[in-house]
Amino acid sequence: MPGLLKKKLRRYFSLYLLFIPVLLYYFIYRWQPMFYAIILSFTKFSLRGGIFGSKWVGFANIQRLFASYDFTEVLLNTMEIALLRVVIGFIPPILLAILLHDLKYRGFVRVSQTLLYIPHFFSWVVVFGIAWAFFATGSGMVNHWLTSVGKEPIEFLMSPRLFRPLIIGTALWKELGWGTIIYLASLSTIDPGLYEAAAVDGAGPLRRIWHITLPELKPIMVFILTISMGSILYAGGEQILLFYNPATYGVGDVIDTWVYRRGLLDMDFSLASAAGLFQSCFGLLFVLAANKAARRFAGIGLW
Amino acid sequence: MHVASERWYQWAAALFIGLCTLAAVFPLYYIIVNSLAPESELAQGVVIIPHRLTWAAYRVVLTDIRLLQALGISILRTAIGSLGALAFTTIGAYVLARKGMPGRKLFIFMVLITILFNGGMVPTYLVVAKTGLIDSIWALIVPLLVDSWGLLVIKQFFENMPESIDEAARIDGASELQFLLRIGIPVAKPALAAIGLFNAVGHWNAWFDAMLYLNNPAKYPLQLVLRNLLQGLDFLRQNGLEMSGSSFVRASGDGLKMAIVILGTLPILCVYPFLQKHFTKGIYLGAVKG
Repeated sequence: MPGLLKKKLRRYFSLYLLFIPVLLYYFIYRWQPMFYAIILSFTKFSLRGGIFGSKWVGFANIQRLFASYDFTEVLLNTMEIALLRVVIGFIPPILLAILLHDLKYRGFVRVSQTLLYIPHFFSWVVVFGIAWAFFATGSGMVNHWLTSVGKEPIEFLMSPRLFRPLIIGTALWKELGWGTIIYLASLSTIDPGLYEAAAVDGAGPLRRIWHITLPELKPIMVFILTISMGSILYAGGEQILLFYNPATYGVGDVIDTWVYRRGLLDMDFSLASAAGLFQSCFGLLFVLAANKAARRFAGIGLW
Repeated sequence: MHVASERWYQWAAALFIGLCTLAAVFPLYYIIVNSLAPESELAQGVVIIPHRLTWAAYRVVLTDIRLLQALGISILRTAIGSLGALAFTTIGAYVLARKGMPGRKLFIFMVLITILFNGGMVPTYLVVAKTGLIDSIWALIVPLLVDSWGLLVIKQFFENMPESIDEAARIDGASELQFLLRIGIPVAKPALAAIGLFNAVGHWNAWFDAMLYLNNPAKYPLQLVLRNLLQGLDFLRQNGLEMSGSSFVRASGDGLKMAIVILGTLPILCVYPFLQKHFTKGIYLGAVKG
């Protein structure tokens, strides 16, 4: 056996050589941070001691995390926002995909599709710029209009009440068109004969959707729904970091933004790492559970 | 029969799709119009159809040294970052697609782990700092050198390569690298195009890593400069570099901000119509694995 292994290693030697840069990358920038995360979470980080010279404190950081006045609120915010995103973002792309699939003017459909996908490629900064152009208090389009018809301007970007509709609405706007692609792929596999048979049977469009289209989409719908439940601890930190401000911290602060502020602005590395580790571990559990559920209910999984 | 209801349905579908399309495109139109309308018109109210167009805002944008610098950094990070990522990811995929290689399963598992689990913001920051990348443009490129998800997609293409080609090439005495370049890359071309494009878009759109890893505003990419401008954190003032002579400070009107927003999407808008096919193919490759 050792002889065989040696032969194999020699045969694949040049392949290993090729792989070294990739391996180094993974080692330094992917696996090392995981290792750091575990150490930092269980030590009291001090600049003098560095990562390996800091004092071991067991679960003190985790305790501190849940004793801290705002972390439970942040955790709740995260799950609420993530859940709202799933609930509100789920139906519209399905509806749009069905209509795109059924509409007979194919030229119109193709042009629409091209235009509908565009917002997906905008950066969140650009989306924020667009939101600003429409909703800013002083010069936003909506407030310009409101004041011109004699109404009070609304502080869209500063209002805790409007913060969640704002971020969920802009996210829906960004991803609506792109979200149809996966459903359209599934719809394109429907046997056209089914539609013809339905027409012969005298089924109208609604009955056709109900009896042919939706059953066809059901597995992918269940899959998307369960898989998105797996990211319940990830509420879109990058977007929120742009959209929130001190006026809306209360409703908008999520784990990602909290980790950024406590970790990199307040420099409490251990506490922020503990929060990150908590998010990663439970996030992983949720994804595993979601994948299992998707396999069970939809017959398809991520792996 | 149901001819009438079908006709109604077609009309309703066309209407709904049309409205969604309008909603997707109108904001873009509005931003473009506002970047081209004169300030005097903007001050009077909502501008949907401007009476007069002016390039004034763009003239300011394209003569401001700092913005040009930011644009240059964005182009640089996008070019080097996406090409580098494509090279590293392809090599990784090629090696991990070779079924007989000892250790392959372990490596694949280690790649999968990074998709499901990551070290988090603070530990990653510490690693970037430890490798001496803080305040360097490489901090925006090196940590993103391998796209694990893309690696798995490209790997599938290499795995579908017929083994006979593989054997034939090896008998010819082609080295691994030659084989990858001559036969592997053409086979995986659709995946490479899609993954390369997604990485390029990701680099162009990224701002958060720059905010974390860069201290010197002269090295900020365009998206971060735009973000600071929109949030009223004008980096010129914030960093005490009051450049009273700079046109940038003098003209900070809304039209100018809109012109920078457009600048922030322009490359994507320019290449998108030609590359749409690859983008949509990319999601088929990635998402519909089943």
